[in-house]
Amino acid sequence: MIRTRVIPCLQLINDSLVKTTQFKKYNYIGDPINTVRIFNELEVDELCFLDIRASVEKRSPNFKILSEIADECFMPLSYGGGIRDAETARRILEIGFEKVVLNTAALENPSLVSEIATHSGSQSVIGSIDFKKDLFGKYQVWSTDGTIKTKHSAIEWAQELVRLGVGEILLTAMDNDGMWSGYQLDAIEKITTSVSVPVIANGGAGNIGHLIEAVKAGASAVACGSMVVYQAKGMGVLINFLEKKQIENLFS
Amino acid sequence: MITIVDYKMGNLGSVVNMFKKIGMPCKVSGDANEIAQAEKILLPGDGAYNTAMRKLAELGLVEILNQKVLLDKTPLLGICIGHQLIMEGSDEGALPGFGWISGRAHLFKANEQLKVPHMGWNSVEVVSDNPITQNLGIDPRFYFVHSYYVQCSDSKHSLLKTTYGHSFDSGVYRDNIWGVQFHPEKSHKFGMRLLKNFADL
Amino acid sequence: MNLEEFNICSRCIYNSETPGISFDKLNICNYCHQIDDLKYQFKTGSERGKRELQKIIKQIKLDGRNKKYDCVIGVSGGTDSSFLLMKSIEWGLRPLAVHYDNTWNSAIATENIRKVTNKLKVDLFTYVINNKESDDIFRSFFLAGVPEFDAATDMGFSQVLRSTAAKFKIKYILEGHSFMEEGVSPMGKNYFDGKYISDIHAKYGRIKMKTYPLMTFFQFMKWVLIYRQKFIRPLWYIEYSKENAKKILAEETGWQYYNGHHLENRSSGFVHLVYHPQKFKIDNRNWTLSALTRSGALSRENALEIYNTPLKSEPELIEYVKKRLELNDGEYEKIMKGTNRSFKDFKTYKKRFERLRPLFFVLAKANLVPMSFYLKYCFPLK
Repeated sequence: MIRTRVIPCLQLINDSLVKTTQFKKYNYIGDPINTVRIFNELEVDELCFLDIRASVEKRSPNFKILSEIADECFMPLSYGGGIRDAETARRILEIGFEKVVLNTAALENPSLVSEIATHSGSQSVIGSIDFKKDLFGKYQVWSTDGTIKTKHSAIEWAQELVRLGVGEILLTAMDNDGMWSGYQLDAIEKITTSVSVPVIANGGAGNIGHLIEAVKAGASAVACGSMVVYQAKGMGVLINFLEKKQIENLFS
Repeated sequence: MITIVDYKMGNLGSVVNMFKKIGMPCKVSGDANEIAQAEKILLPGDGAYNTAMRKLAELGLVEILNQKVLLDKTPLLGICIGHQLIMEGSDEGALPGFGWISGRAHLFKANEQLKVPHMGWNSVEVVSDNPITQNLGIDPRFYFVHSYYVQCSDSKHSLLKTTYGHSFDSGVYRDNIWGVQFHPEKSHKFGMRLLKNFADL
Repeated sequence: MNLEEFNICSRCIYNSETPGISFDKLNICNYCHQIDDLKYQFKTGSERGKRELQKIIKQIKLDGRNKKYDCVIGVSGGTDSSFLLMKSIEWGLRPLAVHYDNTWNSAIATENIRKVTNKLKVDLFTYVINNKESDDIFRSFFLAGVPEFDAATDMGFSQVLRSTAAKFKIKYILEGHSFMEEGVSPMGKNYFDGKYISDIHAKYGRIKMKTYPLMTFFQFMKWVLIYRQKFIRPLWYIEYSKENAKKILAEETGWQYYNGHHLENRSSGFVHLVYHPQKFKIDNRNWTLSALTRSGALSRENALEIYNTPLKSEPELIEYVKKRLELNDGEYEKIMKGTNRSFKDFKTYKKRFERLRPLFFVLAKANLVPMSFYLKYCFPLK
């Protein structure tokens, strides 16, 4: 049967890997190429790279580093950050990434999603949603690395993204990011029951128990950040992943 | 020397990289004359069925591939959309496939439990003994990403089976033609083994 | 008989081409004698050695009793540091594991660090240098054509150990070095100090050094004289067999051996498997092999046989190095085939260390600097 995917979600700023906390502060983690090599050696199922400042700084992706990263990988890769037109998306897929992740660009130019999905297939487009719960309990969508509030609700925007042609949704809880305290489970439940495509839960994973909770809440895949780059909460940088037998027993 | 058909449907970098890693020379080409010289052919591809067949036709590759595969009996391995093009057709589009193996590609029906596309690592069961499925290891699994699945009309062409909601043919085989639905170039050591087996034929 | 003819030590496998070597009447080399001297000094493997160590451990516990950690242990994922961590818990110490990440680690290193620290419930502190700076320093050493490609990693590790100990107000730094198993590496090889690194970087570097933990002479003396951090090498006192350690580590923690000394990090892998053998015609396997021969763990004949087997080629590792250092094939080959330089072509603190030999002798005796440092740095090279 299909295995639930556990996906390290790595954040890039310039040429280095970092890890954020609640989308604000960040710590320096290390070299992206060497880190990918290590995950490759650990036979990790899939990797997601996000250039988190690209939209804020109005930058394009760093194709050189992306080629070097893709060279190292024999598992699926997805990339997001600064993809604002179909040509850029095509270039990234050609470099060797399976999927492109669209966040701010999709909000600013929804037809971009359809354009890429039509040419390269829905399975190569991930719609990324960063959300925060507002005072009324609504899941509000934020854009541009969590700096600009939009008027969309996560549920409604997720449905729109699917209509536009995304193959998957990456759902990130901004308040849980880097906190080790678990995912936003009710958001996961609400969004996964509203769309037919796989939803990747992101933001807050601190231990295996959290991963199981997210899957029970309906996530088809779970992404981790802090868990895979630190030895433990509050401890030193150490690239790591679950052991094979831990994953095998995880979601059975 | 393996010739990888480049008809602008998705990335070839990973496939080339994997052959490089296992030390097998390969060449990438979208030219009919070069493909005519091929000793072995790899037909990769990501994307829509109709777009794929159309692009192959535009590049004038349909005839040469038919000739190489059916007349010259050149070994050919189709991956992902390449695997589906081997069949007679797909629910995805009106254009016919090569029809080298009888059967069609059908759309997965999504429901609460079954999300479409089928995306992720899944197990494959080897249903018939074959040189390219040797030594895949215990519980081989590969990376899948597709919304359409293949079902052979004749079960003797079924090489590998996988379950996603129901069982489907994740690998097909007939004479000198192989097809796999998953992406060996994204499947670590399992994919490497399979591609090496094909290269060693 | 020509005394300059090729000669191999009768006890280990160092030969007349080993830098700084000399042979006595019985054809035993000075390095073997050095090891014997250290063994005598530290009473290695004897009851007295054990008691000495226990005394030190007691003092460490006493000095650290109101602190979160009583000692700092540098970890790399390798056999010695992993074993030392295990023993330190057995001895009742409360260590903080410290790792200097030069961003070239292999998965075996990170996995071993993870398995050992998690199993022993030891906290890990890591210092990660900026990846681009790390590459710039490696590149500078490569372009300089000197053998000490990995000097910045070793020195960086030292500085991080010391500054972390200072940060947590810990006086004791435990190291997993074993002269019995590793030997003291021959003089003239692997020279490094802070001045050497900054001079090479000044001449060949492209980006400013901001995150690299550089240990200047002043910084070094501050650690030694003001912070008075003590360097303890427990494996110098007790019976230690690497083979045994590997077995125990694997059983207790799932730790894995990486098939070669110092190969857990890709930069030292490059040095030992490619850079030294191909450019400098140095094969460093004789360090460990000689140590094993001296201790009787391996026969001299077997050691020589292993040593005479050529190293495998490492095309992937070379590609990786070219990628990180941003060198094309031509640039890489040019350096590999180019002139070999040494630390003597650059500014270093060597003369200063030699002038201050009496001071360092006293400091070494007081465990404020490692004895091996004194032996290697404070004597002029023949």
